[in-house]
Amino acid sequence: MNFVGLFQALDTSQSTNAKRNALIEFIRHADVLESAIAVEALTSQLGKKRLKPSLLKYTANQAFIKTTWLFEECYATVGDLSETLAILFANPQAKPQTKDPILKQWIDRQTALAGLKPEVFADALLAQLDQFSKDEAFLFLKLSSGGFRVGVSKGLVHEAIARAIDMDRAVIEERLMGPFVADRDWLKRLQEPVTQNELDARPLPFLLANPITVQEIASLNPQDMLVEYKWDGIRAQLIKTDQTIRLWSRGDHDITEQFPDIVDSAITLPSLIILDGEILAGTPGQLQSFNQLQTRLNRKRITQTLLKTNPAFFKCYDLLRFQGEDMRDQPLAARKAVLQTIAFHQSPVLSPQRVEEISAMREAARDIGAEGVMIKNRQSTYGSGRKAGYWWKWKLEPMTADCILIYAQAGHGRRANLHSDYTLACWNDQGELVPVAKAYSGLTDVELKAMDQWIRKHTIQKFGPVRQVEPLQVFEIGFEGIAVSTRHKSGVALRFPRILRWRQDVGPKDADELTHFHALMTNYHVL
Amino acid sequence: MVSKKSRRRDPLVIRTPEGLYCPKARAHIDPWLPVDCALITHAHADHARAGSKDYHCALGGEGLLKQRLGDQQITTHAYGESFTRGEVQISFHPAGHVLGSAQIRLDDSDSVWVITGDYKRDPDPTCKAFEPVTCDVLITEATFALPIYRWPSIDQTMDQLFAWWDHHVRHQRTPVLLCYSLGKAQRMMAEIQRRSDRSVKVHGAVATLNRVYEQEGVKLCPWERTSETNKSVSSDLVIAPPQVAGSSFLKRFHPTELAMASGWMQVRGVRRRASIHQGFVVSDHADWNGLIQTVQDSQATQVYATHGETRVLTRYLNEHLGILAERLETAFGIEEGIDQ
Repeated sequence: MNFVGLFQALDTSQSTNAKRNALIEFIRHADVLESAIAVEALTSQLGKKRLKPSLLKYTANQAFIKTTWLFEECYATVGDLSETLAILFANPQAKPQTKDPILKQWIDRQTALAGLKPEVFADALLAQLDQFSKDEAFLFLKLSSGGFRVGVSKGLVHEAIARAIDMDRAVIEERLMGPFVADRDWLKRLQEPVTQNELDARPLPFLLANPITVQEIASLNPQDMLVEYKWDGIRAQLIKTDQTIRLWSRGDHDITEQFPDIVDSAITLPSLIILDGEILAGTPGQLQSFNQLQTRLNRKRITQTLLKTNPAFFKCYDLLRFQGEDMRDQPLAARKAVLQTIAFHQSPVLSPQRVEEISAMREAARDIGAEGVMIKNRQSTYGSGRKAGYWWKWKLEPMTADCILIYAQAGHGRRANLHSDYTLACWNDQGELVPVAKAYSGLTDVELKAMDQWIRKHTIQKFGPVRQVEPLQVFEIGFEGIAVSTRHKSGVALRFPRILRWRQDVGPKDADELTHFHALMTNYHVL
Repeated sequence: MVSKKSRRRDPLVIRTPEGLYCPKARAHIDPWLPVDCALITHAHADHARAGSKDYHCALGGEGLLKQRLGDQQITTHAYGESFTRGEVQISFHPAGHVLGSAQIRLDDSDSVWVITGDYKRDPDPTCKAFEPVTCDVLITEATFALPIYRWPSIDQTMDQLFAWWDHHVRHQRTPVLLCYSLGKAQRMMAEIQRRSDRSVKVHGAVATLNRVYEQEGVKLCPWERTSETNKSVSSDLVIAPPQVAGSSFLKRFHPTELAMASGWMQVRGVRRRASIHQGFVVSDHADWNGLIQTVQDSQATQVYATHGETRVLTRYLNEHLGILAERLETAFGIEEGIDQ
């Protein structure tokens, strides 16, 4: 089987079991280089875009030279650029080749195409697509342009690899952390013992928290717990070996280069250590909003100016390795005791006697810029993933507002062709509607479908895929934070806005005014 | 020159609250409210509604219409034969959509209008092939008026279907093909019959319509109605309407593997949102090329698009083919999402 065959098996099955089996079969029997590149692709590590989306669009526009609007209509309906091109330009007579390895050859061809001059690129790509069936063309383009999802999680791929070569999943997970090298020896390497030094530089699987329920809060014994603020930053591991300092975020991204200031601050740390904590924007004395971190992540080059305007620091709350010793099997209280001997920014810890103390700390969270509290079992070891009974998160209730739908756009992927992306507005003091948030989720499938029908019937104007609709539908949105914005007409930027419910009981006149948002900002010390 | 003339003339067909209406013939075409005289293009629910006094349809369409609307007063007309109502010569012409489907031609000796109803240009063993009709004004559907809709050959699709069917039978799963019970189901069964001696089990809604097709002499593959009681251990495909997805109907065939035969399956996101594992692109509507071909074949100087991607089709005709085209709001295509 080759990657096309694997894709067809994955894409046409919806049970996790069937997907896992398809992956195991593939890893066992496919050409080893084919499976190596496939794993790289399925775990989104295939590296930089070989064919830029702008070049793919340019190609389509060349083919639709006199009717580019028609291509835009197609793209809006399909919701995926690669798929649109595959449907339009693949050869309907071609049969997919699903057996012999193709990925190495594809990557080489993509690199060759990327090297062409723009004048000849479009023709060359169209000629290439004409040799493919629809599925092949889709995969070829998907793989060339970075993002690639087939409803297979990284965890499932790791599990399938572990099963295919009969190894413990935790070992495989740990070995697959860090950059993946796709060559003919990848499976052999996974089965070899690794050196201590290699191990030292790799991040460990993160322990994640479960949301806490009201019943759980009532039933837990506060004296068995440690409580900390839940920080609004980027979860990360700060690793120092004999030779190097590394910063890894969840999702296996090495983000060391984005945070030279944190690397500098880690120089004083003892070697052979791994700290678990949060990258936060601002300084320990003055936190900034999460958006400032986003800027750091998105920049290719971190300039001195950016370090000044968008400073960041690392606040630690757990210790996974100390003096080369794996600390993860020790209980949290013991890890904390050692952690507190290390001079580094630490998250304050509360040892509560009563539940009321936990609630009080949670209430205080918003004032200090945290998003709730973490409740951690003193006896818990540092496991991997979302372990029940280890850590809980108890977030603040989101802030809310009633807003009016003014624009809707069709979604992508599973929501292609369904108007699921909403722009929501509130009233300003002139009685005009100003957009305050874009929200993509929160409605049930049934509600989404009903709204889709409504949107199609109440469209005032179309701007390509965006529909302006009559301002009649009100939605309650929730958001985690609010900040002043110079970019938005409304002057506010909301963090994680999402739809909480469809307010069919409320008319547009009853929706919130901009003053509501200003009040929220004043209450939470943003203004 | 011709176009100027046709624009000045009184329109032969207008839109009334009841539906498309030809005043000179005192007849409605596929009305959505009860009227005196209804000319029916085909028996799908968005085109044929109960309650009118007199119905006219093409020969071959009567059985389906009766099955759908109950006992009605129906006059049938052989394809191509015209009859007169008021000042208008009326005739029915094959539309290739489903059994007995027709385009309706209206001629008041000043101008000729054609209402296509739903149609396709691809071959279909269950109905007479589409015949282009020349006219001055064409009123066409536009369900799939986007270049992404181009249908693969039925041979290719049937190869895929058989491979999928065999694969899941080998793995002891029941393959279930969801498709519209009027038209698509019978077309799939006729295609199966032409290439194999395979047999199928069908949902009750499909069975009722199968009988009408067989009475009209259409050859289907061997079929039996799914029974409530005995769990089938067989290599049969199950054919059922899309509504059964997620219902208890499927339980008795557990484990099942769902596929859908529809033009909408051309887009991966649509298939996945419907929680369908496998999609087969088969449509009873014209694809993009089929629509453009039909407009050109008709030689019409003016085109109205009634349902589907009407905005795209009219813009393309106006801007790129120089054919005067407008959208015409109708109640057709309301059951959108399920390809009829």
